[in-house]
Amino acid sequence: MPAIRIALLTIRLVMRTKVALFFTFLFPLVFLFAYAGLIAHGRPEVVAYMFGPVVTLNIMGSGFFGLGMQSVMQRERGSLRRYRLAPIGPRTMLLSNLLANYLLGLPTIGLLLFCALVFFHMPMKIGWLTLLALVTVGTFAFAGFGLTIASVANTMQEAQIYNNIVWFTLLFLSGVTFPLPMLPRSIQRLAMFFPSTYLVSAFQSIMAQGEPLLSHWPEMLVLVISGIFGLLFAMKLFRWEKEERISTKAKLWSGVFVLPFLVMGLWMNTRANPTAVWARTYNVFEKPSDAGPQAEAEKANLIEDFDGLQSSEELLRRWQVSTDSDVSGHSMAEISVLTPGAEGARHAMRLKGRLAPGPKNPQGYVAARCEVQPPANSTGLRGIEFEARGESRVYQVAFLPPKVAQTRLSGSAALGSAAFGSAKPDADPFPSISLVPGEAWQNARLPVAWLANPAKNGPADGPWVLEISVTGPPGEFTLDLDEIRFY
Amino acid sequence: MTALEENSVLVSVQNLHKHYGNLAAVRGLSFEILQGEVFGLLGPNGAGKTTTIEIIEGLRQPDSGAVRVCGLDPAQESMALKERIGAQLQSTVLPDKMRVHEALQLFAGFYRRSASVQMLLDHFGLQEKRHTFFEKLSGGQKQRLALALALVNDPELVLLDEPTVGLDPQLRRDIYALIEHFREEGRTVLLTTHYIEEAERLCDRVAIMDRGQLVALGTPRELIARSGQGTRLELRLAKPVGLERLKLIEGVIDCHEAAGAYFLRAQPAALTISALIRFLESDENALLDLHIARPSLEDVFVEMTGRRLED
Repeated sequence: MPAIRIALLTIRLVMRTKVALFFTFLFPLVFLFAYAGLIAHGRPEVVAYMFGPVVTLNIMGSGFFGLGMQSVMQRERGSLRRYRLAPIGPRTMLLSNLLANYLLGLPTIGLLLFCALVFFHMPMKIGWLTLLALVTVGTFAFAGFGLTIASVANTMQEAQIYNNIVWFTLLFLSGVTFPLPMLPRSIQRLAMFFPSTYLVSAFQSIMAQGEPLLSHWPEMLVLVISGIFGLLFAMKLFRWEKEERISTKAKLWSGVFVLPFLVMGLWMNTRANPTAVWARTYNVFEKPSDAGPQAEAEKANLIEDFDGLQSSEELLRRWQVSTDSDVSGHSMAEISVLTPGAEGARHAMRLKGRLAPGPKNPQGYVAARCEVQPPANSTGLRGIEFEARGESRVYQVAFLPPKVAQTRLSGSAALGSAAFGSAKPDADPFPSISLVPGEAWQNARLPVAWLANPAKNGPADGPWVLEISVTGPPGEFTLDLDEIRFY
Repeated sequence: MTALEENSVLVSVQNLHKHYGNLAAVRGLSFEILQGEVFGLLGPNGAGKTTTIEIIEGLRQPDSGAVRVCGLDPAQESMALKERIGAQLQSTVLPDKMRVHEALQLFAGFYRRSASVQMLLDHFGLQEKRHTFFEKLSGGQKQRLALALALVNDPELVLLDEPTVGLDPQLRRDIYALIEHFREEGRTVLLTTHYIEEAERLCDRVAIMDRGQLVALGTPRELIARSGQGTRLELRLAKPVGLERLKLIEGVIDCHEAAGAYFLRAQPAALTISALIRFLESDENALLDLHIARPSLEDVFVEMTGRRLED
């Protein structure tokens, strides 16, 4: 078949051209290492998130500057004229270019994948066939885009201008360079009209969340349709000679090419809500990596990082708040999800309220409690650590066995405890510390001696309780907590 | 026209017209090319030769007129026609890194019938250059490759557009030898040229074109004979003789004297020379020197258009 013959020879010609080799194989690696190193900081989960943009960038580049510009260059140079004398038509020429572009792109993707897996330990949540399908659809769509531009451009300079306008728009406004959740809402809405957005977001949700490809079928369909439109346009407007010019009317017809994106963009803006998916996928930036044994251990030691929370209601299912109301106090408190959390994390918890003691007590009281299942294997662990910040009040942090926690649920019991007001870990049989947080996040540690030897005062029945409480004179208080874990 | 004669017509162009905007590139052109002949379209740049050959190749659509090539309509049956013709462009450009043998193999693969690539490499003197990139070939080698590409499908009709333009005289003669070989193989050849030598040496028949129109058509000999220019005679005599007496010699059309030599235009030349010898004997004069120059197609072109081919 002539198209295959031309495609295979074209690939051979590329292999003989140093500049083409550089831009085909090495240049994409520069982007991978830049994205994975500078943006993802080598974190495997984030590398997986950034792999989609790198692949999309490569596919876009080969569509616009490989296939598209190549077509115009062949025409300008006059090398298409010789083919014109042979019994082959525009369809053969276009299919051969398309095939060569695709076959040249696959090893590049393979190389990117190899480097991501070997050098950055990227988790492979995407199946081989799914990856191939995404690459195939993306290559086809951007080949259509590149060919449409090549069809309407009369000269190399014109093609260069069109390509650069589209290239930079897609590069910066569709998640290829900057993750979409980082961009303003208005830009996110605009991004819903761009084909690269569909490809990037599909890659990211599959590679970072393990979603099935089928959940992105509308975007994939639009990409395929746009590819078909582009190919049809290119066939219709194909020119063998540089002297042949295209009319302004024909150029305007090429506007039909953007119709699928227009429909998709409107649907996404009005019916679908991809921003929530984008935001959820973006969470990988906040979550520590779960790859590798060390990461697994860290994950097992995590008590609460609040990052997966979508609302304060979710928080209330895990945390309980009690006050001094049963001893005539009027102290009030609420807990809420705080964004962002400590050290760039997505969320933290805020305990905020007002201490208002009753007539019988000089001090008000508020506590927040959360059940904590001690780790099955606590060998090597020494206590609980967390990030905290707040106003300069004294807070108590205690790790209580279930029965004790039950007795301290009321404010009267708590206020009667000798532990409060004069916190001395040695005086309390259960681990507790006093804490005076500052305005900045700081790490605090609650030593739990029995962790090293669980049989001695360790867990007997049911989960223990982590209690954070504040007692004191009337007034406002705020305490933020994040990244609570065994250390 | 008999059935046999009709069958022997391989290319028929009737009342062909082609405009580019306001410019009339071809105006009412008609001619026929017979099977096995080398037919030349001779004319200056801009005469409409390339437009005509591209319409015959099926690369351009005529505005009006009828064209049949190998019994096919180039405008409607372009693909079928391309299987049967081989063409060489005025300048052939291939990808820089394409090797000679790769180009021949690639293009040979496009046709249902193809010539042996080895044979083409041998025949066109490209065997040593078979692994050379296109960008490394000299002008003559590129042209030889272009001719070889025109023959990859073993065509009935070979169309050559200015095959020797830009080549030095030696390379031109090499190309002439190749085209003469096409004739020996019995192929029909249509070539465009603005070189007189090429048309006179290679073509069985020549159509002279100027400004999109056919000026004259025939064998080079016929065209020259048809010309009123006559043969040029330059003679030096032992004794001076009056111009009026020379003009009376049979066949002399025109006569003038310059730098001691007499310049005569004569038609037919053989008769004039015989009469001149008799005249000199009777006048007891002697012929010291004689140069005879036949008229060329250039003279024919100048006579018919009032311009030179290079204008």
